[in-house]
Amino acid sequence: MRNRLKSPRVFVPLGLLLLLGLYPLVPDSQYEQSVLITCLLFAIMASGWNLISGMAGYVSLGHSVYLGIGMYTGAIAATRWGWDPFYLAPLGALVAGVVALLIGLVVLRTRAHAFVIITIAVLLSFQLLSANLKQFTGGTEGLTLGAPGWPEEWGNTPYFYMFYAILLLTLALAAYLMSSRLGAGLVAIRNDEGKAASIGVNTTVYKTIANVLSALPFGAAGVIYGQYLSFVNPSGAFSILTSVYLVLAALVGGRGTLWGPVLGGFIVALANEGATVAAGGVSARVLIMGLVLVLTVMFLPAGLLPTLTGLMTRRRASRSTVKYIDQAAIARHDSHLDITSLISRGAGQRDTGTAVLEVRDVVKRFGGVRAVDGVSLTVERGSITGLIGPNGSGKTTLFNCLTGTVRPDKGTVLLDGEDVTSDKVWTRAHGGLGRTFQVTRLFRSMTVLDNLVAPLERTSARQMVAGRYSGEEVDRARDILGFMGLQDFEKQNAAALSFGQQKLVELAQVLMLRPSVVLLDEPASGINPTLIEKLTKVIRQLNEAGTTVLIVEHNIPLVLGLCDTVHVLAGGKILTSGTPDVIRNDPLVIEAYLGPDHLLEAPRG
Amino acid sequence: MGDALLTMRDVQAGYGGGLVLQGVDLELEPGSITCIVGPNGAGKSTVLRVISGLLTASAGSVRYDGQELVGRSPADILRAGIAQVPQSRALFPHMTVRDNILMGGYIIRRERELLRQRVSMVEELIPLLKDRSNDYAGNLSGGQRRMVEIGRALMLDPRLILMDEPSLGLDPKSVATVAELIREVTSTGRTVLLVEQNVRLGMNLARYGVVMEQGKVALTGDADGLADNPEVASMYLGRAKDQP
Amino acid sequence: MSLRREVREVQIVQVLAYGILLGGMYALLASGVTLIFGVLDVVNVAQGAFLVMSALFTWQVWSVTGIEPLLLIPVNAALLFVIGWIIYRGMVARVAPQGPSMTVLLMFGIALVIEGTLNLVFGNKFKSVTPEYFTWSVKIGDIVLPVPQLISGVLAIAILGLIYVFLRVSWAGRAVRATAQNREGAALVGISHKTASALAFGIGAATAGAGGVLLSIMYPVYPATQYDWIARLLGIIVLGGLGSIPGAVAGSLLLGVMEAFAVTYVPQWSTLFFYGTILAILVFRPQGLMGSVTREDVV
Repeated sequence: MRNRLKSPRVFVPLGLLLLLGLYPLVPDSQYEQSVLITCLLFAIMASGWNLISGMAGYVSLGHSVYLGIGMYTGAIAATRWGWDPFYLAPLGALVAGVVALLIGLVVLRTRAHAFVIITIAVLLSFQLLSANLKQFTGGTEGLTLGAPGWPEEWGNTPYFYMFYAILLLTLALAAYLMSSRLGAGLVAIRNDEGKAASIGVNTTVYKTIANVLSALPFGAAGVIYGQYLSFVNPSGAFSILTSVYLVLAALVGGRGTLWGPVLGGFIVALANEGATVAAGGVSARVLIMGLVLVLTVMFLPAGLLPTLTGLMTRRRASRSTVKYIDQAAIARHDSHLDITSLISRGAGQRDTGTAVLEVRDVVKRFGGVRAVDGVSLTVERGSITGLIGPNGSGKTTLFNCLTGTVRPDKGTVLLDGEDVTSDKVWTRAHGGLGRTFQVTRLFRSMTVLDNLVAPLERTSARQMVAGRYSGEEVDRARDILGFMGLQDFEKQNAAALSFGQQKLVELAQVLMLRPSVVLLDEPASGINPTLIEKLTKVIRQLNEAGTTVLIVEHNIPLVLGLCDTVHVLAGGKILTSGTPDVIRNDPLVIEAYLGPDHLLEAPRG
Repeated sequence: MGDALLTMRDVQAGYGGGLVLQGVDLELEPGSITCIVGPNGAGKSTVLRVISGLLTASAGSVRYDGQELVGRSPADILRAGIAQVPQSRALFPHMTVRDNILMGGYIIRRERELLRQRVSMVEELIPLLKDRSNDYAGNLSGGQRRMVEIGRALMLDPRLILMDEPSLGLDPKSVATVAELIREVTSTGRTVLLVEQNVRLGMNLARYGVVMEQGKVALTGDADGLADNPEVASMYLGRAKDQP
Repeated sequence: MSLRREVREVQIVQVLAYGILLGGMYALLASGVTLIFGVLDVVNVAQGAFLVMSALFTWQVWSVTGIEPLLLIPVNAALLFVIGWIIYRGMVARVAPQGPSMTVLLMFGIALVIEGTLNLVFGNKFKSVTPEYFTWSVKIGDIVLPVPQLISGVLAIAILGLIYVFLRVSWAGRAVRATAQNREGAALVGISHKTASALAFGIGAATAGAGGVLLSIMYPVYPATQYDWIARLLGIIVLGGLGSIPGAVAGSLLLGVMEAFAVTYVPQWSTLFFYGTILAILVFRPQGLMGSVTREDVV
């Protein structure tokens, strides 16, 4: 941490910002101050927006709704109790936060297109509401506010410092969030929401919290802004243009970064002011801002800061020598580390019955097709169980019913004896169900270690506020990597690894959940035989350490060699179940899957 | 093999970062069925995508009937007489079976008479398509969809048909019907390049077999010979030595 | 008693007829947005700006020449088709790989550029095209309908019919539909994705070109009225299921009727129907009324 403060990436912008705080000392700077106030406002809004849209990837085009809520909260409260920023700004933040909580619970159920559309709709609905709830809002005429209550010669300077303070608080919040596990969870959601859920991130709670946090600065700033304008009306408070401009600000500077939205806020506000002054009017401003938006989206989609730092690191990276990664060493690596303590739940481990996972009469239809048609099977505790079947036999759908990404139409799924049929993906992950993906879904822009500390064994406030690298997780992650022979990869980006290495890392990631059962989706597909051997060995070791394993695989020798029990699926039904020897010689299996005189007798022994 | 209809030389291709094909050499004998087998991720489907132009090779050459195919558009390659039956879900679900078949003749759309002839030719070869011609393709079963896909590819009377896992997701009965259709299609001298997970089916249908592993051709030979080759089994199935 | 009920019934029929005409207009515009969404996965929030641009162009030509405005329908449709084609090839095709939120922002930027330009050219004032039939109305049985609304509604439905026939019967239309239904399948039969997409974008913009002419004889227009259309169109599309044209038409008629009733009985809340609809549909049935859920893995 101490080193980070010395990094130019931190002290340069921080220094500039602190310097900016001295600006009102410049004499005769009232006009400049009013321009800077707009800059600060946009920086605040872009930074707030960044918390949900930049970090979690949910692009909102209606976020100025929270500014409007702050403005009306301030104006309505001021007309009753008088205007005092020390009470009203927190009140505005509170009201905006509560509204964001309610709206978030509804709109965050949608994604991508639908989310963008719904955020616009929410903003315009509030505009309409404020125009029609005349008894509170004064209708379309709006509310007019009196003088702020300080000596006239102070001018706008107090407003400047109020916005300045809100910006500092927002940045502090953003910086803290980015270093916390909550922030890591949000970035995981942005990268791959389904994957995030599968490693125990309660995506609903995380997104909702981010939405609430992102609304707070808007609410506080809205109170001040309403008084600054001394006038609040529906079209001004809930303006879609403000939303578009603030998104533009975050985009220009660089979304997902700490300082990008601030930089973008200043650029957009200055461009806005410049366009108004130079080109003389609203029309030219709309045209120019539109052009800036089009050009930014087309030529600078990542934003200024990430593009610049990207150029810098690329130059630096090309100068430094690339560390040679010894692939074969991983395969040769043999760990005698006792991993039981690393991956088991210890005293808390439940031991209810012999079936760790049980499926009863599960049916899942898609349109007219019964993808899974009444499947029952059990995965015995401590076993390595196989699930095979031709493509299209319903394996993947059944697998998804187990993990919770698909809800069965009928039937139940039991995990450790408890009905989890309607449980969310993350609840199952907390309950001890871990899974890997056929095509690995690591967070590609994160390091291997970051990937490993991302899983969450539960959802709790204490965990969210904890730092990303705090607690015993990091030590445990390192130990698990060591057990896998991956210790040298810790700082590599996940995307830089080979596909086979990624599969091992994904397995390591899942082990961080201390799962009682691990579901492996075609672990051997697409990786070379040496790594398959390594993988087989790891699976055996995990099993010996007490982890139950369910493998879905096409590699028949691997399955028959590794598993205690194999279930064969065909046409959405269990064709047969039994030991590898039974399966190998079952005529039904041969007919449906292996082909009439299958090739599997050959490579025995 | 005699004069090859299609020859791939040292073809490399990939998506985004990595290379999936790392130097593929392949020859197809005219009028024969050749089947590619190999583990998941070996690059089998990618070979088909490179030939049909859906993916452009980054190096190497694909020569077909004296012409170079690398760098040409899918429509151009279709015109040259190569049609692809892709790995499932390539139909237009909200169009009727008849319209789906008709779309197969998109590039000869201006020759109305020819188009009409081809539709009747295809419907004659696959009577099911005539029976269900007004049903929406999205309402058909998997086996029926596969028939429509093959019928659609036949609209251009191609000399070479690329088929990606024709048995994928089909029940054994449909597999038999589709296999029969594939045999029929080649009886008139067409060449077929097949990718198949079901090794036994593929080798049964094909005259030549090609085993791919890790983006390269590992083995080629007569399908009958390959089917009995223990090495093929271990290639396809991976090298899990520690079996009981 | 009975007289009052009769009056009420007549009024209801009248509002219903008015709503269907309005819905026809919405259907024309929404089908353009839906077409673009279906083929390209792009939410065209600039459709309102296209519409206003066409309406103001109509006003300009009409006020200078006094020509019958409806004759401009093919002209404006062709003009917007070309503009749409250029916007797709020059901008949307470049940004599309970056995902839906970036293309929405791009279309917003384009809408602002159009609005700003129109502001500079036409000024920020209401313009109305008022041919002599502007104030006429016709009586059919007991119901009275304003002629401009009647013309617009009927023509909108007729143009929509033409587009539908074009998409069904012509090869170009089939290529567009095929690309919307299965991009890879379309490429396999030799349809160029770029051409089909540019065509879809062009047709989508052209519906706004035709719609703008119809709009100009119905309502006064100024550049910022584009914002009124964004929410309406989005509401209609969401109601119809993103990407389904029959769905968008059904949604348009429904919302047209709902809006007509709302305007008559609770005017100040009338647009809330659109927002309410968007919220309710997206939350409870995200795939829309006529969209369907498909299996993600291989069938």
